[in-house]
Amino acid sequence: MAEYDRRNHGYRGGRKRRYRDDEDYDRRPQRRRYEEPPVVQVRRQLLTVAESAARRVEDDVEGIAKSVVENYEDEEMRDTFINIVLDLVLEQPMKIPFVTATVLVAHSLKLELGAEVLNKAGNALQRYIDTGAWREVKLLLRFLGILQPVYEGEGIFPLLEELFARAVDLQTASSEDLLGLELVKIILFTIPYVMSSPATGFETQASALLEKTDIIASTPHALVDLVNTFSPEEDKPAAGQSVISLLQTQLQEEASRGWKLNCLPRPWNDLRDGETGEPKSFYVAAKVAFPQITVPSPVQNGTRALFPEVYLSVFASQDVETVPPTSDIASSLLRDVLVDTINLLDFNRVATAKFLIDVDCYFTPHTFVKRATPFDRMRDLESQDLAWKPEDVAVDAVFSQLFQLPTPEHKLVYFHALLTECCKVAPAAIAPSLGRAIRFLYNSLETMDLELSHRFLDWFAHHLSNFGFTWKWSEWIDDLELPVVHPKMAFIIGALDKEIRLSFAQRIKGTLPDPYRPLITEGKEKDTPEFKYMAEMAPYSKEGQELMQLIRKKTSDDELQPVIASIEEQAKGLGVEDPKVPSTDALVTSICFVGSKSLSHVLSCIERNKDRLLAIGTESPRARCQIITSVMEYWVDQPGVAINIIDKLLNYTILSPLSVLEWALSESIAAGTTLAKTHVFEMISATVGKVTNRMRQIVAARTQPSLYEPQLSVLGETLARERTDMQALFKFIEDSIISVATGSNDELMERGDGSGDLPEDAIIRQWGRRWLRVFRRKAAVEESFITDALVHANPVGTVAPPTGSSTAADGDLDIADAE
Amino acid sequence: MSLLSVNTVDRLDRPSAYYVGKKKRRYNDREDDVQEDSMAGLRDATTLYVGNLSFYTTEEQIHELFAKCGEIKRLVMGLDRFNKTPCGFCFVEYYTHQDALDCLKYVGGTKLDERIIRADLDPGFEEGRQYGRGKSGGQVRDEYREEYDPGRGGYGRAYDDQRRREEEEYGQGR
Repeated sequence: MAEYDRRNHGYRGGRKRRYRDDEDYDRRPQRRRYEEPPVVQVRRQLLTVAESAARRVEDDVEGIAKSVVENYEDEEMRDTFINIVLDLVLEQPMKIPFVTATVLVAHSLKLELGAEVLNKAGNALQRYIDTGAWREVKLLLRFLGILQPVYEGEGIFPLLEELFARAVDLQTASSEDLLGLELVKIILFTIPYVMSSPATGFETQASALLEKTDIIASTPHALVDLVNTFSPEEDKPAAGQSVISLLQTQLQEEASRGWKLNCLPRPWNDLRDGETGEPKSFYVAAKVAFPQITVPSPVQNGTRALFPEVYLSVFASQDVETVPPTSDIASSLLRDVLVDTINLLDFNRVATAKFLIDVDCYFTPHTFVKRATPFDRMRDLESQDLAWKPEDVAVDAVFSQLFQLPTPEHKLVYFHALLTECCKVAPAAIAPSLGRAIRFLYNSLETMDLELSHRFLDWFAHHLSNFGFTWKWSEWIDDLELPVVHPKMAFIIGALDKEIRLSFAQRIKGTLPDPYRPLITEGKEKDTPEFKYMAEMAPYSKEGQELMQLIRKKTSDDELQPVIASIEEQAKGLGVEDPKVPSTDALVTSICFVGSKSLSHVLSCIERNKDRLLAIGTESPRARCQIITSVMEYWVDQPGVAINIIDKLLNYTILSPLSVLEWALSESIAAGTTLAKTHVFEMISATVGKVTNRMRQIVAARTQPSLYEPQLSVLGETLARERTDMQALFKFIEDSIISVATGSNDELMERGDGSGDLPEDAIIRQWGRRWLRVFRRKAAVEESFITDALVHANPVGTVAPPTGSSTAADGDLDIADAE
Repeated sequence: MSLLSVNTVDRLDRPSAYYVGKKKRRYNDREDDVQEDSMAGLRDATTLYVGNLSFYTTEEQIHELFAKCGEIKRLVMGLDRFNKTPCGFCFVEYYTHQDALDCLKYVGGTKLDERIIRADLDPGFEEGRQYGRGKSGGQVRDEYREEYDPGRGGYGRAYDDQRRREEEEYGQGR
């Protein structure tokens, strides 16, 4: 265990080792002189159970159980065993069948030990059910389900039935219910493990349960379309099925085939009885009762919001099968346990990557072909039943999370880092899988959910930055002929921009085949973009230069005024409608130019001229819009810098979120072509994200359990106000884009011959639809978040209880104490 | 969400041995107390020390990568004490402790500008810490490096001086 190791290292002495090589000349006293104490051995064996393909896992399973039973009197041994068993169940779910096998053997040798394990597992399960930690419930049920042969009567089934009854209650109460669906999913994911356990004769119970879950699992939830990788509107056949409906069908199929469950390991089948050498039977000894569990009614959901899940495979459309098809239950079982592993172990991506690469250790031997089998060889192997490419299955699971809608459990960058780590651990095996995944995603760009195409773009560029920016760009050369607004072209342009942001233009140019080079313009290679007022012919060039010099010299705001006034005076003379627009242009362009050296330079320039910039917004909305235009134009070749500056201007409240939206979706909509620019999507997403984050913070403050009047009313009002603002923001997006999506945008209609039939017009309308889908989803998710959160909040008017009784929730305390 | 207080594999979001070791050395006699003290300084830390950057890596590049873990509150480039040029490290400050931890887990040990960077939890930036503490103004590690590192000014500066002197002497002798 990590803690244990660290403690030992602490005794290595205080000297800081400067070089790793010192390890070789380590002069620590040799500790390995003694036999390893049994408890240390059990700990090590248990933690690494099934990890090595070189050892027979059955031997380890038996060895561990025997050691523990032999040392049963040693309390440390018992605690170590029980704790690590449960920890592994909750943290390394791929090991559950093996860990549970040790408990099965231990139980058969020593009933008391089995009882102790069950007792502790039952307590844990009860706690997780009470707090609504459903993944943990699922994993503990899996563990308890494999122990089915040790129970009296029907064992785990009554509990599953009770959970199902709760699901029915929830479903009956509301057609939008998701918690009931989650319970059904848990029940369904438990059944195969019970059926793969050494227990026999439960087919009737399993089938009865399956019959009942069918109606709930097979009815599509209203939100499924919203979280689909592919919008059914754009690509009906590609749209994935929900995880739960797939699983229901697969289980029914499996039931009709006598529960073969080919991929699930059954280490208990190969255990021999020590004395007779016969296959070990687990129907010895007296049976015990299934732990007593009370399921509250109604059950609660924990901290994580629930959404329907859709099954995505980036390898599904290949001509050679490398991952299980959705008709095979292995697709669900493998995916489920891999996804849990990925999400549970986010705190050590190196270990997670190792588990993913070793996936073939945790399933039956004929589930996978040999590691790193080339794709072309898979074709020859196709005649063999059931053999998938382990790398593809693993990588597929990571992508399913990277592309989880509305949001994955962890930050996107975790999945980037995990894929990078996999590539580092086994480059020859993983890199080709990623290559095929990239090709699939690239070819799906036109119909994929827009937010997901953006995640793909971001991952792609970040991934390449970890591997010397090498990619076979040559295979997409033909696509360079496509119009600029084509999704593939937008991807290429956007990806190169992102690569440059993580590196620099010249470097990226060097990685590209010739036909791509014109995309890296001269402007992109310049560190400091031109200052347009340097050109004598430019309007207001004299004043622009003067202003820039003053800003560079950090002069006081008063000294800027005459120059600004002079620009406005001239503009008036020229009949400019809003003279503040050209003066703002000169000011902001000067700030950008003077601050072009780095982000902190431009920030300090903004800081020094903050009051003037703030005043612009209140005086003239058009001038405020000009602030954005000036920034975007100055940094036109490096949009990353521009949107960074816009982001900071939002923080200073020099810009309002609405002004950014107005700029992008109205001022510069350019007949909808702007929607094809990846950095515009990035900017709008970031701006909306700022608003929704703030909203969520207010909701968090408003829903604190210890919040009472008068603060309650104050926060209640803030919440109502901000909620209205947020709704207005989403409304603005909807109204601006809907005209593009339906083709009724004035500019769009005036393009070309006005028929709306130009080839690009169809693409632009599609961009509109894809944008709409993303922001409608965001709006719906935020609304439901607020509504759900407020259900449990103190209503306005609640006053503090008379005495200072502690209101801290018990569950929270435990978690805090744990660390 | 684990039941128990320890994980079955090590966590990457812990302060490095460098930080723990540094504190320990300073007060060797009261090891246990100090362990706790030093951790207290990091309990809500929102700042990261980022090392092994190339001297040529820009604020924008750092921003682009580190913003993937959360909004950045402040970015302080490490500078050569004398030249005031970047010398291969920086401090990144987030708004929340969680973002800083996520950064340790997901960004530390990955590449930026094609170098594996190092991230360590830091109790917080203070004026003066942005400067290299090496004899010649940069970071100490760049004084005595025997390997050539083009991203960090070539050979260690101390060796570099020596090499230059030797070469000059050799030239004179000829």
